[in-house]
Amino acid sequence: MNFEIINPGTTKELLGAVNKLQKEKFRFGAGCTDLLMELKKKPEDGLTIINLSQVKDSSFSGIKKSAKGMRLGAMFTAHKIVVNEEIKNAFNVLHESAHNLASTQIRQVATVGGNLCTASPSGDIACALVALDATCEMLSTTGKRREINIKEFFIGVRTTAIGKNEVLYGIAVPANEKKTKTIHSNFIKIGTRRSMECSVVSLAYHIQVNEEGVIIKAGVSIGASAPTVRFAEEACDFLIGKKFKAISQKEKEEFAEKVLSYASPITDIRATSWYRKEVLFNISKSIFE
Amino acid sequence: MKKEKINKVIKHDISFKLNGKKVDCSIKGSTVLLDLLRDDLELKGTKAGCNEGECGACTVLVDDAPVNSCLYLAVNVNGKSVTTIEGLANGDGELHPVQESLVKSGAVQCGFCTSGMAMAIKAMVSQYESGQHVPGESGNNFPSREEIKKYLEGNLCRCTGYVKIVDSAEKLFSN
Repeated sequence: MNFEIINPGTTKELLGAVNKLQKEKFRFGAGCTDLLMELKKKPEDGLTIINLSQVKDSSFSGIKKSAKGMRLGAMFTAHKIVVNEEIKNAFNVLHESAHNLASTQIRQVATVGGNLCTASPSGDIACALVALDATCEMLSTTGKRREINIKEFFIGVRTTAIGKNEVLYGIAVPANEKKTKTIHSNFIKIGTRRSMECSVVSLAYHIQVNEEGVIIKAGVSIGASAPTVRFAEEACDFLIGKKFKAISQKEKEEFAEKVLSYASPITDIRATSWYRKEVLFNISKSIFE
Repeated sequence: MKKEKINKVIKHDISFKLNGKKVDCSIKGSTVLLDLLRDDLELKGTKAGCNEGECGACTVLVDDAPVNSCLYLAVNVNGKSVTTIEGLANGDGELHPVQESLVKSGAVQCGFCTSGMAMAIKAMVSQYESGQHVPGESGNNFPSREEIKKYLEGNLCRCTGYVKIVDSAEKLFSN
């Protein structure tokens, strides 16, 4: 493993470094837990790493709350998500996804931005943020700020909508609805073991229910089931207006079918396509049980 | 004859606290903390196990956070404080309570995972003491047995079957 490294200390220096390297081969290093693994196995010649860890900018590494919701800097770590009580209370799906990510040691350094930009179909935090209808905010070397919905962020396996002259700067999660009384929010990760596991199938859901017990907003997404994390829009729409506790067996199955329609899993070393579909169907139904 | 490619290697100067003492060194950008500690600074207590962040044998503390030193860029310890197993006890001949508890519980067999285990347990104790732990569990002052197992999920041991390691951590909180 051999590469050059640039250590910008400010956002201005960071954008300057990106601009300077436009014609070269470069990668961003956030927590570097995935990147170093990859480079140890497959070293790349003439590669420069832009090290994001030393950039001092609270908008890039901190958390900010407002009436509109919550904004996480791209360098916010999984550990910081896990120990944040407000995230656990308002967006449990995000808490659970971060808590089930890899191991204690990895979570100390792994970042939200890294999890998104790696764009793995089985990205845990990515899956939760899709269910939460988050917005990705990019900074460009031209000084332009661009926002896109996370559903448009993932283009394919390990491919995102970020331009070569852009950096993922932050992720905004919209606040829960004012009329929301109860939140059913969780992340179900199926793997062959409990720790250090890459999901065989994952399901993230964030369902908001009003005082009458009626579902007013729903976000459901699936991981490790298609080339990207996918938002199961029809399944979400299906739930709106229904009473959460009165969903019938038939409706549960109909919901699970709709979730499944977004899945096109592959057969690989961890599971077969058939197994992934069966599991996804069953865990989709289990949300209501 | 193949022309030998000469690459100019850029070195980075870093300065950090290692087990309480200031260290200055000049390293390659691609050096990971584990190699810096073991090869350059000759602290062999930190073990190189899998080298890919799975086993936790290389766990050290960077500003009190337990990290896999095999996946941590050495340039990123600049200005920070690193604690390895060599710096856990304070040097007066006494073991650190974490080490003491591992020994008393019979939690050490071949010993290869022990440095990493000890550092992870130390980090867990510090995080519970400072309130920097997962919210809403076990009345918040001490972890349950399940929570200890969850915390130590990134440390593999192939000898003990973990029971005595978890025992040793549990005793630290019950005292």
